[in-house]
Amino acid sequence: MINTEEKNNGNTIIEIEHIAKIYQMGTEFVHAIRDITLKIYKNDYLAIMGPSGSGKSTLMNIIGCLDTPTKGKYLFKDMDVSEMTDNDLASIRNKEIGFVFQTFNLLARSSSLKNVELPLIYAGISKSVRDEMAMKALENVGLSDRVNHKPNELSGGQRQRVAVARALVTEPSIILADEPTGNLDTKTGLEIMNLFNELWKAGNTIILVTHEEEVANFAKRIIKLRDGLIENDSINHQQ
Amino acid sequence: MKFSEITENIKIAFEAMRVNKLRSLLASLGVVIGISFVILMGWVLSGLDQALEDTFNIIGTDMLYIDKWDWAGGRNWKKIRQRKDITYDQATEFCEKIKNAELAIPNAREFGYKIKYKNEEFQGMSFIGTRWEHSMTPAGSTYIGRHFTQFEDDIGSNVIVLGYKVHQALLNEGDPLGQYVKIEGRKFLVIGVIKKQGTMLFDFVDNQCFMPIKAFQSVFGRSGRSVSVAIKAGSINSLDEVRAESEGLMRQIRNIKPGEENDFSINETKAFESTVEVLRLSVWSVGIGMTVLSFLVGIIGIMNIMFVSVTERTKEIGIRKAVGAKKRTIWMQFIIEAAILSFIGAVIAFIGCSVFVYLIATLLPKFVPETAFLSPILPYELLLIASFVSIFVGMLAGLVPAVRAANLDPVEALRREN
Repeated sequence: MINTEEKNNGNTIIEIEHIAKIYQMGTEFVHAIRDITLKIYKNDYLAIMGPSGSGKSTLMNIIGCLDTPTKGKYLFKDMDVSEMTDNDLASIRNKEIGFVFQTFNLLARSSSLKNVELPLIYAGISKSVRDEMAMKALENVGLSDRVNHKPNELSGGQRQRVAVARALVTEPSIILADEPTGNLDTKTGLEIMNLFNELWKAGNTIILVTHEEEVANFAKRIIKLRDGLIENDSINHQQ
Repeated sequence: MKFSEITENIKIAFEAMRVNKLRSLLASLGVVIGISFVILMGWVLSGLDQALEDTFNIIGTDMLYIDKWDWAGGRNWKKIRQRKDITYDQATEFCEKIKNAELAIPNAREFGYKIKYKNEEFQGMSFIGTRWEHSMTPAGSTYIGRHFTQFEDDIGSNVIVLGYKVHQALLNEGDPLGQYVKIEGRKFLVIGVIKKQGTMLFDFVDNQCFMPIKAFQSVFGRSGRSVSVAIKAGSINSLDEVRAESEGLMRQIRNIKPGEENDFSINETKAFESTVEVLRLSVWSVGIGMTVLSFLVGIIGIMNIMFVSVTERTKEIGIRKAVGAKKRTIWMQFIIEAAILSFIGAVIAFIGCSVFVYLIATLLPKFVPETAFLSPILPYELLLIASFVSIFVGMLAGLVPAVRAANLDPVEALRREN
């Protein structure tokens, strides 16, 4: 109990209490998430698993502030996300969350550097500072020699590294990766997972969404979802 | 709104247009046409203004012309025709008695006679018998030779000052001075040529030839026409005073009883303003109709292409929103893109019109001399107007697509496969 108190005071980033997400499809109501309560702490390395339809994408969208829950409470660093306007959500996404997607989601016509700079533009950071920060982020993912390449001139693994650099550049509170190895071959996927490991060791908080056991096993904590409920939340003992 | 967002949005807009050059060009075509109308209309109107000003300068803004005829009186034409002629004696008496005017001179005019030089003839000009003081009015300045002197005036010498066009038609080779021309069988010595003054509104002035009024009377007879009086007030400020004195004096000379209408007109440059106003209005009404129509087409064109652009870039919008772009940032991105698209249309129109206007203004007057009032250079105010109008039109056209883009749900947008 004392342990939990301490964590609340300093280290809790995300606090989710009894959230539900209900979509209306025609006349039918779909309960994507029924009732989920969850805390995520600083420097957590968390994998959210579950078969398709289990609600993991919806949960990820809510955690990533791309979507808001229908019911329940979501506190991000003690700020109530469920009450926020679209603009506030955009601000949180910009400053606090770094996304890594399965399909990389880079701007096809922009160079690696421009892609990494994108969140900084919306943060209103000046060009010279932006360039410096983006260069550093690309260096951190080992791509300092691919700064001016466009996505179609890069391999899949390199593209995902650019995406990771973009996620890191604002020094967010959490990195949210949705099937980050889904479009990569095994070897490249492994490289990306090793990169996440390093980031975690450097103090970052990482949330992985995946349906692959091998990927989830990199995480320190695994949450399994089924039918919009948490089936299991445990420390990963395999490591 | 942060400055970096605005510059970023401008860059995005140019990038988007660079990728779709032809499509952007076609989309802005309506604006190109609309802005062209605005520019050409402004150009013609400013030409008209210039022509009006030139006309004023020939007539003289401080000049009054007492005449049987009224310059602006088209409607009362029948009534005016029944006025008694102003005789030479009345005109002379007036000129002697007027006090406040700087100068007053009688002008007698005849049309329909020929002028001969050697074996060549010219017709369609008018002969004006006037006094030597005519050289002191704006219409009397010569570019070759001189006007006639007081002495020549007093004795009624057979000397003539040719109008510009008459000179061009008859004596354009060699020195015209010292040559003799024949009018009604009488020889006249050419002593000068009047400066070219004609404008579209007032082109007959270049066909006028001036001679001493006594010489004029010996050729065309002393009576049988109405003589007009040209009065130079001296300044625009004294115009009212001179006009009032002239009216009273002329009424007295013509024996008009109190309460009766004037049987003469006092003409001045103001009469031309109404003529120009009619012209200006007709240019406007035709121009505005076409302009509004083409802007409507322009707005639809840009709006359509912006909708396509939003649909094509849904994924991009999703990515931008995911990394923190706010609604108004996305909104602005598309508004700016539409505005720039439209502005580029305006630039194309301005360049196109500049070339067109230059060619027209330099070539057309060679075939249609009346169009000489058109300037080969577009007034720079038109560039400003075109810029503002096009940006406004672009923003208007981009409004609905931009709102649609801004309101896209990021989750939905990211799911798109483009």
